[in-house]
Amino acid sequence: MRRAGRVAAVALAAGLVAAACGGSSGSQAGGAGGEGAVKEGGILRLGTMTGIDSLNPFVTFQQDSYSTFEYIYPFLVQYNTKTLQYAPDFATKWETSADGLTWTFHTVPNAKWSDGQPLTAADVAWTFNTIIKFGNGPTANFSQDFTHIDSIATPDANTVVLTYKTPVAVVLSNLQQVPILPQHVWEKYATGNGKELKLTPNTPQNGQPLVSGGPFVLTKYQTHAITLFERNPNFYGTKPHIEGFGLEFFTNDDAAVTALKSGQLDAVESIPVTSVATLKAAGLNVFIGPGLEFHDFIINSNPKKTTNPELQNPQVRQAFEYAIDRASIVKTAWLGYAQPGTTIVPPGTGAWHDSSIEGLPFDLAKANQLLDQAGFPKGSDGIRVANGHPMSYTVIFPHDETGAGDRAFQIIQNDFQQIGVKITQRNMDDSAAFAAITAPGETGYTSFDLAMWDWVPLEDPDFILSVMQCNQYGAWSDSGYCDPTYDQMYEQQASTVNVAARRRIVYQMQEQLFNDRPYIVINYQDITDAWDQHHWAGFVESNQGLFNPLSKESLTQLHQV
Amino acid sequence: MRGADYIIKRTAFAIATVFVAITINFFLFRVLPGSAVTDLSRVPHASPQLKIALAKEFGLDKSKWEQYLLYLKNLTHGNMGISFATQQPVWSELAQDLRNTIPMVALGTFLSIVIGMATGILSAWRRGSASDQISTNVAIAFYSFPTQWLAMMMLIIFAGVLPSAGMTNPFIFGTPTFLQHMKDVGVHMILPSLTLALTLYGEYTLIVRSSMLETLGEDYVLTARAKGLPQRTIVRKHALRNAMLPTVTLIALSLGYIVAGAILIEVVFSWPGIGRAVYEAVIQRDYPMLQGAFLILTLSVVFFNFVADLLYFRLDPRITE
Amino acid sequence: MSETLQLQGEKLDETAAVKRGRGGFLWQVIKDRPSAAIGLVIVLFFVVIAVFSHWLEPYDIHTQVGPVYGPPSIHHWLGLDDGGIDMTSLLMEGAKVSLIVGFAATFVAMVIGGGVGMLAGYFGGTTDIVLMRITDYFLVIPDLPLAIVIAAVWGPGLSHLIFVIAILLWTGTARIIRAQVKTVRERVYVKRSRSLGARNSRLVFRHVLPQIGPLLIANTVLTVAIAIFDETALSFLGLGDPTRVSWGTILEHAFDRTAISAGAWWAIVPAGICVSLVIMGCYLLGQAIEDALNPRLKVAHLSIKHFRLVRPLVGRGPDAL
Repeated sequence: MRRAGRVAAVALAAGLVAAACGGSSGSQAGGAGGEGAVKEGGILRLGTMTGIDSLNPFVTFQQDSYSTFEYIYPFLVQYNTKTLQYAPDFATKWETSADGLTWTFHTVPNAKWSDGQPLTAADVAWTFNTIIKFGNGPTANFSQDFTHIDSIATPDANTVVLTYKTPVAVVLSNLQQVPILPQHVWEKYATGNGKELKLTPNTPQNGQPLVSGGPFVLTKYQTHAITLFERNPNFYGTKPHIEGFGLEFFTNDDAAVTALKSGQLDAVESIPVTSVATLKAAGLNVFIGPGLEFHDFIINSNPKKTTNPELQNPQVRQAFEYAIDRASIVKTAWLGYAQPGTTIVPPGTGAWHDSSIEGLPFDLAKANQLLDQAGFPKGSDGIRVANGHPMSYTVIFPHDETGAGDRAFQIIQNDFQQIGVKITQRNMDDSAAFAAITAPGETGYTSFDLAMWDWVPLEDPDFILSVMQCNQYGAWSDSGYCDPTYDQMYEQQASTVNVAARRRIVYQMQEQLFNDRPYIVINYQDITDAWDQHHWAGFVESNQGLFNPLSKESLTQLHQV
Repeated sequence: MRGADYIIKRTAFAIATVFVAITINFFLFRVLPGSAVTDLSRVPHASPQLKIALAKEFGLDKSKWEQYLLYLKNLTHGNMGISFATQQPVWSELAQDLRNTIPMVALGTFLSIVIGMATGILSAWRRGSASDQISTNVAIAFYSFPTQWLAMMMLIIFAGVLPSAGMTNPFIFGTPTFLQHMKDVGVHMILPSLTLALTLYGEYTLIVRSSMLETLGEDYVLTARAKGLPQRTIVRKHALRNAMLPTVTLIALSLGYIVAGAILIEVVFSWPGIGRAVYEAVIQRDYPMLQGAFLILTLSVVFFNFVADLLYFRLDPRITE
Repeated sequence: MSETLQLQGEKLDETAAVKRGRGGFLWQVIKDRPSAAIGLVIVLFFVVIAVFSHWLEPYDIHTQVGPVYGPPSIHHWLGLDDGGIDMTSLLMEGAKVSLIVGFAATFVAMVIGGGVGMLAGYFGGTTDIVLMRITDYFLVIPDLPLAIVIAAVWGPGLSHLIFVIAILLWTGTARIIRAQVKTVRERVYVKRSRSLGARNSRLVFRHVLPQIGPLLIANTVLTVAIAIFDETALSFLGLGDPTRVSWGTILEHAFDRTAISAGAWWAIVPAGICVSLVIMGCYLLGQAIEDALNPRLKVAHLSIKHFRLVRPLVGRGPDAL
């Protein structure tokens, strides 16, 4: 089964994507060309295989939930998927003080929630303050978006002022991840220790739709089945063309693809690569474009690890990279719908990706030579011997990676055999895999050798760079990588407001990670969405697909033809 | 009274089984490696305090024994805990799933009984004939098909003609009338129910056939035959009636297991029932959900076993064990 | 010796067969019943393929030899799978793993079930009651969910899979062995009072094994079928050993990698047919042996999947095992 993202906690990776400043590759308008006249109305039937695990923003981990919030809640800012620049949402404009510490946002006046209650700056301030207040408990999953914040003020009903203690480079990318909740609905949960904030299901009750402020109102929700949305007449922005849409959840890819083929669905997000040809042959439009997700081969890089020390040897790590046939993996496992990988900041982030870094080419002779030089000769069975034991390792393989990942593993395994290294796949479900990586305990990182996994980074590189810090042991780290110089660079980039200067640091960090190889990035996965272009046009494709968690463009511009 | 004895005995066994099931259920889940807490607390910059809080929230910081007592106490209030994944009460989630599963399974079972009885009677009646051969062998064939394979074959054959996933046309806005809703569910139910029926009916065919044949060989039937009673009457009056005993018992017994057995079918057809809840819970390591679902499935088996015991007693009072 | 003969003389039809030894008995069954011959041929066919799979496989199962989901052709009779790997080779490899799981799980189940049955039957009394109660509880727990839970906990792996399936299947064997040990023990006990002073235990074992040999074969064959069936189910739910190719994982891959919508029926149909054939073969063989042992025992092991459903019938009806 496909699941977007990493660990059951796909969330902050998959869902909360930050937009980048600058850069222009990566997004394309879907359905361009051949767009007929805009026909108002209609209901879009959208299929998904990841689905919504919960509609409570403080609980959910799935990308579809965050996309849902994007369309039912106001956000201060969103991003333009073509230019990758920030765009107005509930805040029509904003300015920064000269010292970079004060951010002032001007929100849409006279806005209303779907139930007719006023939607003002007060809702914004209440939401942010609640998240900060309970940041060590129920609202922890959003608290990182308010790092270094000092205070939040609302001088009038249409102005929000955020004051920071130190300059923060990622204010906008943080704020575009935080849905603004209706205070008049939610404030009754924010009492005591705030536990109720996490317990409310936030689903339509007694036939009443969810109080929404975005372009759509959520009217119906059935766990693991369906979520329905209707146009919100009170929306403060441009009203969508469609009357509403439904998001249907499928347990398996095949049923969704079949439903699309037979006209029971209008569009499916993230179709499996094996279905691309089928759907094209059936006359459907398949969008292929650069995405953000990447797949990586992890080498335990905890400096305190003592077992199998040969794996810390840079020559061995280089040899491994030489022995990974990225082209073959892209061709066989991904049927060509992927790009060979290099750094952990994917090309889909635009200019944040350091394209000067080139992966080591597939070269088994070179790999063998490096291992010979390192002093690990082949034993009689063809397996090399290092430090008195055969170079035979277990690769932790989470459930997330099954399918194409299995194929990739087989290719790597066969090639590693040629360089005298034996690897064995150890399949586990995601949380067990994470537990095995962090073992012993939750911050050990000393027992595992190798693993494979994937990330869906944010568009701003801050998040994916943050996972390699020492302080991420037990949180996001799955490599045990820990380097003080790197951590220092991370802090530096996070507070460098000047984009060009920040980019230089980000490049430097990518360079260091590439050379240290806690990850060998195998490939970047393409976005593969499919829809019925005979009836629909105007989807806005992006590096997040057509149901973007950070932009309201796609479904507000969509229309029938 | 021996009859009362029997019923008391079976009731005691059923109750004891429920208790054992609850206990096994609890310990099975608490010896599992890999705590769900590592997932739940996996929020960036999570403080150790938060992790402790989460562990506490789910009672995972207490000793196994205390957790067990807590579990028993909660169960008596119908509280099966809170789903790790959705943060909603397990029981309310499972109740909905169960409501979705039951009609599908009921229709499938009903179809399987009808097909099974019909083919079984036909086989017994025409023993040794070509139609007996065919119907018996087809029954065995369907019986030996892997459930998920048969379901996939149905998808290959009927995709596009019949709805292949879900329980209703989900994209209906507003409230459909009861009749519209029934029709919608009915259409969606065809493939999963039919698959279930096909995997199950062979059992009924064989059991009806053999128990009827057994009766047809009995002395009193031979006498009836000698008396010149028509074959139709013999089959209806004697053979069929006798065949009802094992058939009815089998139906009662299998009801308990089918709910569990529908897991594969629900996964293939994306049916939002309890089987798929089990599957999802496994993937998400949602212990409370898995535990709750497992308990419900076990209890349904115990319950229907008990029903079968009583039915058996009712139909054949000779049995007092 | 005379005592043995005397003992067996008390038994019904199987006496003659048992005297000729197990091989002779099997031969007799096959000669009398064509269905048994068919079953045996099918099972042997797959065993041969499994044993010689390494030499028979036309292509390497780790190498891509053509396009993804390439259709059947002269070079690839059954087409290619989602990794461009030859389906025929995969099926042969799958036969190996599926049969290993089937036979190994059955063997483990026999050891557990045989042990429990022997102990319960031999010692009787409290031991018997306790062991049989445990068996009863195991009978009640729904097998697929239990297997899912255990497999999910343990993590995937061939040995885990084997053990999980064995845990589900030992109860049937335990009951059969216990019943036989009890019967023989009582008889031996009666005899002993008026004849030699042979050791109780030795007598029991000497008499029990030949007595239950054929029954055990029937039971084994049927258990193998269920084990293979369970393997496909668990593998399909992603709980098998993903590093090995079995019929179950072939189906899982096809399902996960959209073979249905891609129209790649060849990735689905053959694996299912292989499973069905083996199960059918085992069923025909097992049923024929049972039938030969006791022609009246027509209801006994009808249920393959719900083997345990038959419990109330077995042990209560006049033809109880």
